[in-house]
Amino acid sequence: MEKLVVDKDGKITIPPDVLAKRGLRPGDELELVEAAEGLLVYQSGVDEKTADWWDNLSEEDRGKAQTEARRYEFSSENERDAIWNEAAESLEMEAEGDEIDLPAK
Amino acid sequence: MTSPPSSVLFDKGVIRRVYERRVRLALGESPTLLQVEAANAYARLSAITTNLYITEQTANILLRRTPSFAAPLLIDLQPLKKGRYLRRWARRLRDFAFSPEDAIVLAYGSFGVNLTVPGVGAEAVVTADLKMAARYQTNFSVIELRFKSMINDLGSGYSNHSLPQVLTTSDVLTKF
Repeated sequence: MEKLVVDKDGKITIPPDVLAKRGLRPGDELELVEAAEGLLVYQSGVDEKTADWWDNLSEEDRGKAQTEARRYEFSSENERDAIWNEAAESLEMEAEGDEIDLPAK
Repeated sequence: MTSPPSSVLFDKGVIRRVYERRVRLALGESPTLLQVEAANAYARLSAITTNLYITEQTANILLRRTPSFAAPLLIDLQPLKKGRYLRRWARRLRDFAFSPEDAIVLAYGSFGVNLTVPGVGAEAVVTADLKMAARYQTNFSVIELRFKSMINDLGSGYSNHSLPQVLTTSDVLTKF
């Protein structure tokens, strides 16, 4: 938890380590939300890699991405966990047949 | 700032959050803070690290997802193959109370093989799992002893194998 001080102009300064950790750069936008618990500062910018992904999709692929996103987002947490737990790898000795030797130098 | 690792292995949890960050963007919805942190760490390492790896399981999961999401990730990320003795080391890591899944990703960090470049494993495993990272740090000196003992027993062909460092997504954003 960071303590921020409001100056006489209503400005606050975000500590440098938080800027670095969150990847914030000059010009990035933050959203200030007045919530029941108090004020929440929310990061709304998009990192370069995610932005590039979206910008480089064709209109058709954006449509497909949105369809998939709706399907994914409206699935239950258990269903999403199941997707990400598919094909779990075994630690057992019997499974070692697929291990490969190092390529020859 | 310290030097970035030349090779990193993302655990499945990080890739899941990067994926879900993109889901939120496609829907025009705000991401969670953990999704933002993972996506920022992924973007940072993509810019400064040569070899970005995932496990075979993560690659297989992505291959089953819609290409508009998965294909760009699979271009960035190379799956490591399981090298000889990977599971043996993973079973030994279980003695430190790592889950089977955590043990195997850590073992990929030492015994994973990229067939296209010399060397083995990854310099760093990047995870969103703070407990796993803390357990690894806490037990590192004993893990290292066990690792060296196993490597010595395997013979000279394995002398180049090493333990990865474990970085959280937050570490990535503060250190590099």
